[in-house]
Amino acid sequence: MKKTSLVELSIRHPRWVLALAGVLTLLFLTQFPGIRTDTNPKHMLPETSDVRVWNDRVDRTFGLYEDTIVVGVENDAGVLNRETLGRIVRITDAILRLEGVAARDVSGFTTITNVSAEGGTLTVGPLMPAAPRQAAEVETLRRALFGNPLFVNRIVSADGKTSAVYVPLEKGANGAEIASRIRDIVAKEKGPERYYIAGDPVARDTFGAEMFKLMAIFSPIAGMIMFAAIQFMFRNLALSAAMMGVSMVAIIWSMGLLIGAGFPVHIMSSMAPVFLMAIATDSIHIFNEFYFRYQERGDRLAAIRETMAAVSRPVRYTALATAAGFAVLLFMNIVPVKVFGALIAFGTVVLRLLSFSFIPAVLTFVREDRLARAAASESVEADRTARILGRLGAFGAARPGPVVAAALVLLAIAVWGTSKINVNNNLVAWFKASSDIRVADTAMNRALGGTSLGYLVVQSEEADFMKRPEAVRWLQDLQRHLEGLPAVGKTFSVADYVKRINRVLHDDEAKHDVVPDTSEAIGQYLFLFSMSAKPSDLDNVVTPDYRAANLWIQLKTWDAAAMRQVIAAAADYQKASPLSVTVKPAGIAYFNLVWNDEVLGDMVRGFAIALFVVFAILALNFRSLKWAVVGYMPLLFTILLIYGVVGFAGKDFDMPLSVLSTLSLGMAVDFAIHFVGRFRQRLSETGGGLIEALQWTAARPGKGIVRNAVLFAAAFSVMLFAPLTPYVAVGAFIVAMMLLSALFTLLLLPALVMLGRRWLFQGG
Amino acid sequence: MRHWIALLAALLPLQVLALSGEEVMKKSQAAFLYAGKDFKARVLMKLINKDGQERLRELAMLRRNSGEAGGEQKFFMYFFQPADVKDMTFMTFKYPAKDDDRWLFVPALNMVKRIAAQDKRSSFVGSDFTYEDVSGRDLGDDSHVIEREDKVGARDCYVVKSTPKAGDADFGHKLTWVDKANFLPLKEEQYDRRGARYKLFTADEVADVKGFPTVTRRTMKNLQSGHRSEVTYVKSDYDLGIDDSLFTERFLRQPPRKWID
Repeated sequence: MKKTSLVELSIRHPRWVLALAGVLTLLFLTQFPGIRTDTNPKHMLPETSDVRVWNDRVDRTFGLYEDTIVVGVENDAGVLNRETLGRIVRITDAILRLEGVAARDVSGFTTITNVSAEGGTLTVGPLMPAAPRQAAEVETLRRALFGNPLFVNRIVSADGKTSAVYVPLEKGANGAEIASRIRDIVAKEKGPERYYIAGDPVARDTFGAEMFKLMAIFSPIAGMIMFAAIQFMFRNLALSAAMMGVSMVAIIWSMGLLIGAGFPVHIMSSMAPVFLMAIATDSIHIFNEFYFRYQERGDRLAAIRETMAAVSRPVRYTALATAAGFAVLLFMNIVPVKVFGALIAFGTVVLRLLSFSFIPAVLTFVREDRLARAAASESVEADRTARILGRLGAFGAARPGPVVAAALVLLAIAVWGTSKINVNNNLVAWFKASSDIRVADTAMNRALGGTSLGYLVVQSEEADFMKRPEAVRWLQDLQRHLEGLPAVGKTFSVADYVKRINRVLHDDEAKHDVVPDTSEAIGQYLFLFSMSAKPSDLDNVVTPDYRAANLWIQLKTWDAAAMRQVIAAAADYQKASPLSVTVKPAGIAYFNLVWNDEVLGDMVRGFAIALFVVFAILALNFRSLKWAVVGYMPLLFTILLIYGVVGFAGKDFDMPLSVLSTLSLGMAVDFAIHFVGRFRQRLSETGGGLIEALQWTAARPGKGIVRNAVLFAAAFSVMLFAPLTPYVAVGAFIVAMMLLSALFTLLLLPALVMLGRRWLFQGG
Repeated sequence: MRHWIALLAALLPLQVLALSGEEVMKKSQAAFLYAGKDFKARVLMKLINKDGQERLRELAMLRRNSGEAGGEQKFFMYFFQPADVKDMTFMTFKYPAKDDDRWLFVPALNMVKRIAAQDKRSSFVGSDFTYEDVSGRDLGDDSHVIEREDKVGARDCYVVKSTPKAGDADFGHKLTWVDKANFLPLKEEQYDRRGARYKLFTADEVADVKGFPTVTRRTMKNLQSGHRSEVTYVKSDYDLGIDDSLFTERFLRQPPRKWID
């Protein structure tokens, strides 16, 4: 009743309603200049999260860096020639001068510490302090590189065609910006070399920045497509404008509130405009019904009143379902996800409020003559679309058995498909295979030990424990064990330094490439090493008290699963060869794993809650558990079918998909709410036959459903052309969801109603 | 106006007499690194990382000058700490404008090993000091200009800017605060090639030992990594008559107790 009075108010004082909406919108707009953005996906986990605190501690203890860019130089003729080496020197030199680069710990030919023995003299110092001037010097370098296992697959590929420079970044430096400056540096070099710039910070920061850019491009495009589609459907500019106006107002209010409340616009909330625009399409049911009513009655105001009365309940409940679907995100742990949930829930409520005020107000301004012309064909009998939809519903109602059976077969196949789903997340895979970032990453991972870096921190209770031969050997054997994993390209630890020095002190004899037998020898070797090496060389792999060692693991993939395998393999190894140490994972690869698990876990929990909440809302709306079960079916079939396809297609169930799954529930159920609501209304009004009522519902509100689905899908179809794969996934997912749930609602629901009619209408 | 000109005239000869940057650095090197004929100290070195964790080094250091300031020098070091490197000894012959010779005795292998000194800018025993910071950089490698005068604490100093002549140095320039009275460097700032300050040397304590002003406590801090090294000299002494024959492989293996108490 309250809503109808809002409608009454709006059609009596339309100007006031519009003016008020305008003023409020301006008010929210005033907040916009205070916008702050946060493009770092990593900030999904707060600084106080266990993994970030732990990783920070490990970084501090071992003098490590959160982020490292890997710059690759590839020459098909081999990099070990004076020209290429000269370029590497110039490039490294220029990189060292970049702001935000931790110059002291850049590792490449010119900076990495080499331990070697030439003519009985021990040399500890930079591998290649300057570019070689003679061919003989190049040969010396070749011997030094390939004679030292610490270098092969790290700074030079085994085939000698690729070299890498590892560029650690200072805290807070922007990976995408530094990467673009490195691109400028390498662009100055003319020659046959190819250059690759890879690493998590490049991918992450580029993704964050691209995401914002895409949203800025896609939101208006999606808006324009919707506008065009509405205009095509209703052929009335005022109505189309009203629809767009409603979504703009909702977007401005929501974003204004977000900014005003002091939250930064995070990558999640940057998607809000597109979502709100799509959700706004639910108002289409009002226009749809209005056109039918106007065509029947010819009286504008009466048509508005009747329309609002007829659609108010389904529109209210679909809004409730959508809002609730997003509001469950408030129960998540991840702050930007919570904010996003609250943002969309608020926006949805605003949209509904506007549906009952702004839209009726606008309808009063529409010129009757134009309306009459546009609505002329709008009747169940005259309209071709409505006729086809009616037949579709009638088909479902007439042959419920085969329709339901076919759906069940599809469902069974889909369930089989879902069993094939692979849960994984890979930040670099968020870029298309042809993108610079993917190409660089693939090339570097093929040639070298890997661009993704994880650590295993091996801790003991005792000081000097890591100088014991058994501890160093344990590390060495753990490394060999880990290197058995296909994803592990290269590992390195204090054991490698110890063995290297042992060998070098014994005239570079291969048989001395082993861990010595006493802790004195190990202590002295490491001391000797530390006499000339950079302080960070030793700090990176062992603590000053030798209580803890840090094992570096280079991974050839950014798959979260790779680090999971490393952790499992380390646990197996520890079980097989017990040593009184604890092993804890760290590093960016570990962060990505935890991040993946946290977001995914959150989303799966959210999905479960949303499933329940949506069912509860259906039950509340229909005041019947039985009808809720029936109304639930299109949603269930749609979701399972989509996941079946995901499983068969071999697409990883990753973070973007998990986020979508949760969001989709509140939106996919909308059509069933409209259908069941209007069907039961029709049934009680006419008291007539089931089949007639089903056919009518499929034809008339059904046209609204199809219009809604097409609009929604059209808005999101823009994303199919995005250069980032999560957007393509979002686009494909939403388009499929809208079309499938419309189809299931119009075809499967009538069949289910017919099959279950005895049960459904029992006692009534 | 007349007064100003008089004042200027009075100052002019002084300007002519004043030291050049080159000369200040030369005197500074003599006072800081070449004091006495020979020198002995127990050196305590703390390498402290950003987290506050310490690595400890303790060694006996002997130095003998072969000739004038700026000339050849020989160093002998015997390590006490860390415990597992006890008995390790290290010897350096330093030559002007030529790479050093270095030898190390590794007790675990009972072996003396020659160590190449290709990079004087590399870390000295894992500290923030480079070999060059410890034993001096060739003055001819840089051009030196007195930038200004300044005070460090109560001491009047020259501030000398030294810029490497060759382009391939790993630092951009450094500023040295040289005490006008005793020519000890009281503070030094090293700038990286981006022009950012990255290392800071401070002379934290200066004591008079046998008439030689001696920096007995010093710190080198890497401002970018937060790592720092604190060095304390105890039992410093000069002109003990350390013999040239000490600086041989024989004594590397069998360090003379007399000198390394």
